[in-house]
Amino acid sequence: MKRAGFTTAWLPILLLVPQLIIIAVFFYWPAAHAIQSSFYLQDPFGFGSTFVGWENYTHLFSNSEYLRIAGFTVIFTILVTFLSLGLALLLAVKADKVIRGAHSYRTLLMWVYAVAPPVAGFIGLIMFDQSWGPLTEFAQMLGWDFTLGVTYFDTATAMVVVSVWKQVPVNFIFFLSGLQSIPKSVREAALIDNRSASGRFWDVTFPLLAPTAFFLLIINITYSLFDTFGVVDTLVKGEPGNNPMTLVYKVYVDGFRGNDLGGSSAQSVILMVLVLALTVFQFRMVERRIHYT
Amino acid sequence: MTRLTIASVAAASLFAGGAYAQTEITFWHAMGGALGESVNAVATQFNESQDDYVLTPVFKGTYEEALTAGIAAFRAGEQPNILQVFDAGAATVIGAQGATIPVQDLLEANGTDFDIEDYISGVRYFYADSDGKMIGMPFNSSSPIMYYNVDALEAAGVEPPKTWEEFASVTAPALKEAGYTALAQSHLPWIFTENFHSRHNLPFATNDNGYDGNDTQILVNNDAIKAHFTALTEWQDAGYFEWFGTGWGDNQTPFENGEVAIWLGSSGSFGGLAKKDLGFEFSATYLPYWEAVTTEPKQTFIGGAALFAMAGKSDEENAATAAFFNFLASPETQVFWHKDTGYVPITEAAYELAAEQGYYEEAPAAEIGIQQLSLPAGDNTRGYRMGFYVQIRDVMNREYGRILTGETSVEDAFATIEEEANALLSRFARTQG
Amino acid sequence: MSDISADTLATDRSSAPPKRRIKWSTVVDHSVLIVGSLFMLLPLVVLIQMSSVPDVEVIKTGPSLQIGDQLDDNFNKAMFQASGFSGENTGTSMLINSFILGIGFAVGKIIIGMMAAYAIVYFRLRFATLAFWIIFTTLLLPLEVRILPSYEVVQSLGMLNTYQGLIVPLIASATATFFFRQFFRSVPEELVEAARIDGAGPVKFFIDILVPLSQTMIAAMFIIMFVFGWNQYLWPTMITTDEDMFTLVRGIKQITQDLEGTNIPEYGRANLLAIIAIIPPVFVVIFFQSWFVKGLTESDK
Repeated sequence: MKRAGFTTAWLPILLLVPQLIIIAVFFYWPAAHAIQSSFYLQDPFGFGSTFVGWENYTHLFSNSEYLRIAGFTVIFTILVTFLSLGLALLLAVKADKVIRGAHSYRTLLMWVYAVAPPVAGFIGLIMFDQSWGPLTEFAQMLGWDFTLGVTYFDTATAMVVVSVWKQVPVNFIFFLSGLQSIPKSVREAALIDNRSASGRFWDVTFPLLAPTAFFLLIINITYSLFDTFGVVDTLVKGEPGNNPMTLVYKVYVDGFRGNDLGGSSAQSVILMVLVLALTVFQFRMVERRIHYT
Repeated sequence: MTRLTIASVAAASLFAGGAYAQTEITFWHAMGGALGESVNAVATQFNESQDDYVLTPVFKGTYEEALTAGIAAFRAGEQPNILQVFDAGAATVIGAQGATIPVQDLLEANGTDFDIEDYISGVRYFYADSDGKMIGMPFNSSSPIMYYNVDALEAAGVEPPKTWEEFASVTAPALKEAGYTALAQSHLPWIFTENFHSRHNLPFATNDNGYDGNDTQILVNNDAIKAHFTALTEWQDAGYFEWFGTGWGDNQTPFENGEVAIWLGSSGSFGGLAKKDLGFEFSATYLPYWEAVTTEPKQTFIGGAALFAMAGKSDEENAATAAFFNFLASPETQVFWHKDTGYVPITEAAYELAAEQGYYEEAPAAEIGIQQLSLPAGDNTRGYRMGFYVQIRDVMNREYGRILTGETSVEDAFATIEEEANALLSRFARTQG
Repeated sequence: MSDISADTLATDRSSAPPKRRIKWSTVVDHSVLIVGSLFMLLPLVVLIQMSSVPDVEVIKTGPSLQIGDQLDDNFNKAMFQASGFSGENTGTSMLINSFILGIGFAVGKIIIGMMAAYAIVYFRLRFATLAFWIIFTTLLLPLEVRILPSYEVVQSLGMLNTYQGLIVPLIASATATFFFRQFFRSVPEELVEAARIDGAGPVKFFIDILVPLSQTMIAAMFIIMFVFGWNQYLWPTMITTDEDMFTLVRGIKQITQDLEGTNIPEYGRANLLAIIAIIPPVFVVIFFQSWFVKGLTESDK
C-alpha cells in the first residue's frame, strides 16, 4: 500500500503470468468444475446426471450429523492451532535463551518435522494401541480408561495430540528464526526500559515476531483444516464409525471414498466459502495491527 | 506404460490379428503387503503360461483409492483393462452400464463355454445382475465365520454354539465363569447386518435386495435385527460381549491374546491366525443363528472384491482379459490362490481339487467358509445391490458405535439408519438418471 | 513462557547477578526443553525399537525395552526389496522419486511464488490486490477435494506418469506467494529508494538486492515445500501407474496394507522405511537451518 513501487507496466504482468496460468489451469478450472457439479447428482463414471439446484446444499444444512462434524472441526482447529503455536513458541523462547546445548535442542526438536501425515497417524496408532500402546497404558495409570476408536472423546484427544506433535517443529523453526533475527540493540534497549521479563516479551519481542506469527497462524489454520487429513484417516483406520472427523475428511469420505460427486462438491464449496470468510476476517483484524518494518 | 500400450495396439492392428505381437493389459488392484505378492505371483504364472498376452498388475492403494483412480482414468479414457472393485462399491460400477463389459459376455464372446452353476452357490450371484448374469468376476472372496478358542471352550465345558439362544443361556455364562469374555466380532455391518439377513433369509431391501431397480428402500429397521442388537447390549452389560471399535484388528487381537473365546471374523483370517503361533488351539464353524427367527438357517454370501473388465478397449485386449479370467478361474490357479491367501476358491471344481489334495485335513478351518457358502440358498441370500453403500455402511457403523457406547438406543439408531440410508438410496437413484 | 530471552543477556554481561534466581530459571528452561524433546522424539525411538524385533512379536506385545536382531534384515528389505510386480519399486528408487518430487516442487514453487510476490508488492499495479486474492484463494481448497477434474487436466496435457504431472498441479497453491509477500513487505522501503537513486531497474533490484536479502526466507520456504512434496501420497497414487514412479509414503502404505486379518503385515520393514523417510528432509532442515539463522543474524548490523 505504502510501498514506493516501480512503474514499469509490462514486467509485473510477466512476473505474475506463470503463477496465474498454473492456478488457472490446475486450480480455478477444477474448482469451477466442483462448483458446477455441486448442483448435480452425477454418476461418477459420467453416464447419468440430474440437475438438483441447491438440494445438495440444503441437504447438508438439514443434516444434524454434518453440523456436528462442523462443530468438531471448529474446536479441533482452534485446539491444534493454539496448542501447536503455544508449545512451539514456548520451546523457541527457551531454546533462544539457553546457552549450553542450544544447538542440540534445536536439532532434536526438528526431527519430527519431516514425518508424513499418514506415518504420523500410524505412529499415533502405535502409541495409542488398545492393548499395548504406551500412551494408553499411561492414561490408564492416571485412571483414564483410554480406548482409541471406541470412545468419541478419546479418539478426538488422540487426533489433537498427534496433529500437534506433528506441527510443533515447523512453528518452532519459524519462531526461533524470528527470535534470533531480533537485533541485539533492541533487546538491550528493552532491558533498560522494561524490568519485568514477561513485560519485555509481550511489549517488545512479541510485536517483532508478529509478522511471523501471523503467517504461522494462517498456515496452522490451513494445516489443521486440511493437512490433518492423513492423520485423521489413519487414526480412524479408514472406517470413521462413531469417531469424530473433520470437514475435509468428510469431503473425502463422501466424495473420494463414496463417489458422491454432487454432495461432496457442495461440501467443498461450503468449506471454501467458510475459510475465505475466516481469512478475510483475519486479514482485516490482524494485519492492521502488525507493523511491517 | 501408456505409450507402450498404444504402441502394442498399433502393432497388433498392423499385423492384422496380432499373431506376432504380445498384447499388453493392465490390472489395478488394492492388495498390499503379502496379498499383493500373491497377486503378482498369479500374474507371473499367467504370463508364463502363454506367449500372446502380458499382464501387468499395479497396486493402486486402498479399495476406495483403486476405485476412484479407475473412475478418474475411465473419464479420461485411460482406464486399465481390469479393475478390482470391493463389495460395497459394486452398485457404483455395475450401475454405470457402459463402464464395464459383463464378465459373462466377455468370456462367451471369446469362446468360453460359461456356466454360472460352476461357481460355488454363495459366490455366484453377488456380482451378477437381476437376471443372474455374472458382471464381475469374484476375486478375493470371503465370508464371515465363527472362530473359537478350543482350549477355552473345553475349560468352560461347552461346545461351540449353534444358535444365539444357546450362546446366551449356556455358552456365554460358562465362558465367563471360566474367565473369558465370550464374544467379539470385527465388522458389524458385514457380519451382523448384511449376512445376518442372509443367514436368517430376511429381506434386506426392497426390489429383491436392490437387484431389480434403483428405487430401492432399505428394510434394515426390522424386529429380528433390533432384537439382535438389543441382545448385544445386554450381553455387553453382562460381560459376555465386547466391542473394540471399527478397526478390524482391534477386535481380533483380544481373541489372539486369549481374552476373548469366540470371535467372528472372515474366512480369510485363518491364514493370519495360523501364522501368529497362538498360545492355544483354534478352530472355526458356521455363524450362529436365532432359532426364534428361523429354524432353517441359510447360506451367507461373499464379501471381498471382484474383477471388472473395463469397457472401451480393443478386441485384442479384451481377448487378453478373457484369457486371464479363464486362467484365474481354473482350478489350479484357484487352489494356489486359496492356499496362498486364505480366500475361498470360487468354483466347485477348485474346491474339489483342494479337497483331493488333502488340504482340509491339514487346515480344517479353511473349509468352513466354503461349506457355509454352500448351505441351502433362500430368496434373500444372494447379496444386495445398493448405491452409495459405502456411505450407508458408514451410517451403520456410526449408529452401531453409538448403541454400543450407550449414546443412543437400538430403536433410535435403526430409525436413523433407515432414514439416512433411504435418503442416500434416493440420491443414488437420481445419479443414474 | 514468562522469563524471556533478555535474562541470558543479563547473566552474560552483568558481573554479579543474583545467583539462585538465575540458576532456577536455567533449570526450568532446560527442563522445558528436555520434556519437549522427549515428547517429540520418544515416538520415533519406539518406532526404531519396533523394527528391531520380529513382526509377530510386535503384534502381540507392542513396544518394549528389548532391542532385537532384525534391524539389518529389515533395513535390507526396506531399501532393496521391491514390493511390486516389476521389481522396480525398491526403497532406493522410491527415495529417488520422493527426492525429485520434493526438490522439483520446492524449486518450482519458490521461483514462481517469488516472482508473483515481487510483482504484487513492488509495482504500482492497479489489480495487485485482486491478483493477490486470486492467488491467495488457492489456499482454500486442497488438491484432495478436486482430484477428478485435476486428473482430467493432467491427462489432457499428456502428463500422466510423468514428474511434471506430479509436480506442477501441486504448485498451484499460494503458500510461497503469501510467504514472500509477508517478507517483502517487511523489507525497509529505503532500499528501493536507494536502488532507484543508484539507477537500478526493477530486474537488477530483484536479482542483486532482493534475492540475496531473501536468502534466509528462501531457505525456510525450501524446507517447507521440500517436505510437502516429499510426503505426497494421494496425488501420486492417482496419476502414476508405473512402479518406477512410486514414492515413499505410497510404498509404506503398500507394505502395511492388509485385509481382514489374512496376514501379518511387515511392520518392521514399514517402520524402518518410515524412519529412513524422515532422514533426508531432516538433513535438508539442518543444512538450511544454519544458513538461514546465520543470514538472519547478519542482516542485523
